[in-house]
Amino acid sequence: MTTFILRRLIQTLVVIALLSYVCFYLMTLMPGDPVELMIQSNPKITSEDIVRLKQLYGLDQPAYKRYATWVSTIAQGDLGYSRTYRVPVGELMGPRLYNTFILSMLSLLISLAIALPMGIYSALNPGGKFDSFVNLFSFAGISIPSFWLALMLIIIFSVNLGWLPAGGTETVGMSDADYFTMIKDRGVYLILPILSLSIQQIGGFVRYARSAMLEAMRNDYIRTAKAKGLARNVIIWRHGFRNALIPLITIIALSFSTLFSGALLTETVFAYQGVGKLVYDSIIGNDYNVAMISFIISVSMVLLMNLVADILYGFADPRITFN
Amino acid sequence: MKNSILILAASLLALSSCTKKESSSNLNNSEYKIGISQEFENLNPLVMQMVATTYLYSISGRRLVNMDENSKWVPQVVTEIPTLENKKAKIITVGGKKKVVAEWEILSNANWGDGKPVICEDFALAREIAMNPNVSVGDKESYAQIEKIDIDPKNPKKCTFTYGRARFDYYMLGTYMPLPSHLEGEVYKKHKDEREGYEKNSLYSKEPTNPGLYNGPYLISEIKLGDHVSFTPNPHFYGEKPKIQKVIVKLIPNTGTLEANLQSGTIDAIGVVGLDFDQATGFDKKVKAEKLPYSVNFVPGLTYEHIDMNMSHPILKDLNVRKALIQGLDRQTLIKSLFDGKQQIAIHSVSPKDPWYSETDAIKKESQYSKANAEKLLDAAGWKKGADGIRLKDGKKLSLEFSSTAGNKTRELVQVYLQDQWKQIGVEVTIKNYPARVFFGEITKKRKFDLALYAWTSSPESVPRSTFHSSSIPTEKNGWSGQNQPGWNNQTVDKLIEDLEVEFDPAKRLTIATKITEEYVKDAPVIPLYYRSEISVTPSKLKNFVMTGHQFYETNAIEKWTLE
Repeated sequence: MTTFILRRLIQTLVVIALLSYVCFYLMTLMPGDPVELMIQSNPKITSEDIVRLKQLYGLDQPAYKRYATWVSTIAQGDLGYSRTYRVPVGELMGPRLYNTFILSMLSLLISLAIALPMGIYSALNPGGKFDSFVNLFSFAGISIPSFWLALMLIIIFSVNLGWLPAGGTETVGMSDADYFTMIKDRGVYLILPILSLSIQQIGGFVRYARSAMLEAMRNDYIRTAKAKGLARNVIIWRHGFRNALIPLITIIALSFSTLFSGALLTETVFAYQGVGKLVYDSIIGNDYNVAMISFIISVSMVLLMNLVADILYGFADPRITFN
Repeated sequence: MKNSILILAASLLALSSCTKKESSSNLNNSEYKIGISQEFENLNPLVMQMVATTYLYSISGRRLVNMDENSKWVPQVVTEIPTLENKKAKIITVGGKKKVVAEWEILSNANWGDGKPVICEDFALAREIAMNPNVSVGDKESYAQIEKIDIDPKNPKKCTFTYGRARFDYYMLGTYMPLPSHLEGEVYKKHKDEREGYEKNSLYSKEPTNPGLYNGPYLISEIKLGDHVSFTPNPHFYGEKPKIQKVIVKLIPNTGTLEANLQSGTIDAIGVVGLDFDQATGFDKKVKAEKLPYSVNFVPGLTYEHIDMNMSHPILKDLNVRKALIQGLDRQTLIKSLFDGKQQIAIHSVSPKDPWYSETDAIKKESQYSKANAEKLLDAAGWKKGADGIRLKDGKKLSLEFSSTAGNKTRELVQVYLQDQWKQIGVEVTIKNYPARVFFGEITKKRKFDLALYAWTSSPESVPRSTFHSSSIPTEKNGWSGQNQPGWNNQTVDKLIEDLEVEFDPAKRLTIATKITEEYVKDAPVIPLYYRSEISVTPSKLKNFVMTGHQFYETNAIEKWTLE
């Protein structure tokens, strides 16, 4: 297994290196650069200013040279400088990645904690009242547009009831408060975004869990287990659930890979200081350093979680080997 | 099952119908929260580029001069503006070249937030840093026009600026920002030779709450990029003491939720860099209908929405066609039907807020809506109506492509309206929009359009060299630089622009500016539409709040605001 993991890690590094160049090159192909965007907000910028700024930012260099400069900066442990916000990328992205991780992780855990039992119970009692309710709920969760759901939550819980803040990450000035007060305060700001994200995620997970379990419970070995007179719990968990795990591992691992990518719409609507909008703005505004770091994080997470999924397959199904 | 759904729906309805007590009734001078929807960067005044940052900077920073709500230049940290009339400025001739020399004196009580005095060295350092090629200052003109700064050895608050050229606008230094030399001087000295070294290591980036960085009515007590900035009064401010004890500017990037945030009390007001026009008109109606304790303020601004006509296009080369497109357009109805009459009609590029605004008979005549006249002009140009109502010439249809920024709802509505108006005079217009970065980075920059709808933001008494002068036409040869995108080449205008820059008599300047405007209207390189209104929402309790309508925002007078 060690050889397998090492081989996959080396492959991952090669893929990251190749994809980072492709991504960097594609970004340079997009029309407009930071200087051109600057001109739009200030028609007084002269031709000389444009030439000077392009030289300063290295935008007059070919893509491969700019990529090489970027790689050498990264190799020195410097993540670069955001030309949009005019601060180092590490300082800008660090707190936002943390915020996004907290939001995504909590909503993912809550969603899984609710969706898996719901989906399994529903699969074990197909066609029943609970199953109908679960189907309705999961379809509603999947179909409701996220921005609409977020707005409704704000209108109900913030505008009309006044129970929760309409948006933000924490109360202004709370950074100086003691640890527990701060946790409590941040928790209040997390309720609505988590609710909004979870309702949608639960819908999706319930559907996967239900169909995987339903499929597993239809197999011959379940009938054999029943005929052998095994206890219901043993049939469900050891024979049914374990076999339903393979598709679920894929879905769950992929969901974990988005933990640092941010939920653009949810973060924007709730003015949550996450990484989603930052990444979107950096791509639109050609803020290369920020866009490239977020790209590396996304790619690494996808590749890493795929590796984790591959390892977990082996534990879930002993027929799968690492050779 | 049905019962559960009914119960769920009923609970949601019940929850949504519960109404909360209006939050703005508890407002007082202890705290005031303003919501904005545009991102801001760090507040280093030398390198800042974003509109929202300028809005924020004015809360904590003061400069030599500022433009007030009447578009008049007024002193900020200086005793008075040096002019030829008050003898503080004079024109000199050095080596046959005319130059301006102006004496500036900083207010004796003007201090930075740490109590250190604001001195001429702060302006000299800013100029030196701005001129360093390793620092990414966007528009250097404010600094570059000054050849040298001589500081009075006896009084560090007195200095003489020598300007390289004798231009009338030598004192209009609204974008000349001072830097605290006692703090930033060391940083600059250490990093001046590194590419972008100064801005990366500046205290505005490393230690943004250092009080010594700000000389305005407020100091920054907390800043979180992408979230909020908190301000507290500056005890060393030279002017009127601020009334509000804490001002928080909060970023709410989704304009759709600004109103909900306002009504839930998360914010108390919405700044000019906040609401979209249609959201503001909707909220204005709601405020009036429900008698909510807010004022939705609309003030005519300087952002000029217009359509560039590509004068190199075979159809648009013809003056009659260009004039027909202008005269076949009923702007009055456009403004009434789409904007509730709350935008100001533009008849040319100069706003009525600008001292150079003119409305001579010649201008009025050319800008008037007349469908009949437009049809006559097209007939004269040889375009005859075909069976489908669209005009033809030599077997070719009078068909044009109309581009703008995709996803901009207001512009898309305007496009559809114009498409219909022009169809009535026999002009076929096909709408083809692009994402903003493609539209600005490729289509307008390389003049790959027939008709391009977008906006320019200007300031009063701004010489239109970059937009009107023939040397500013973007071409492959000049690396597509310059903002004369229609490709307007008028030698008379080029000469007038050059004369305008060096004319010191305001009356004569107005005459030259009027002549340029008349040429602009006569040659019709652009279809003027309207001046976008600046919008804000304030609580009814807020007093002394005056919107300016230009880029020197109302936050320049924030110390006067009160909620009592």
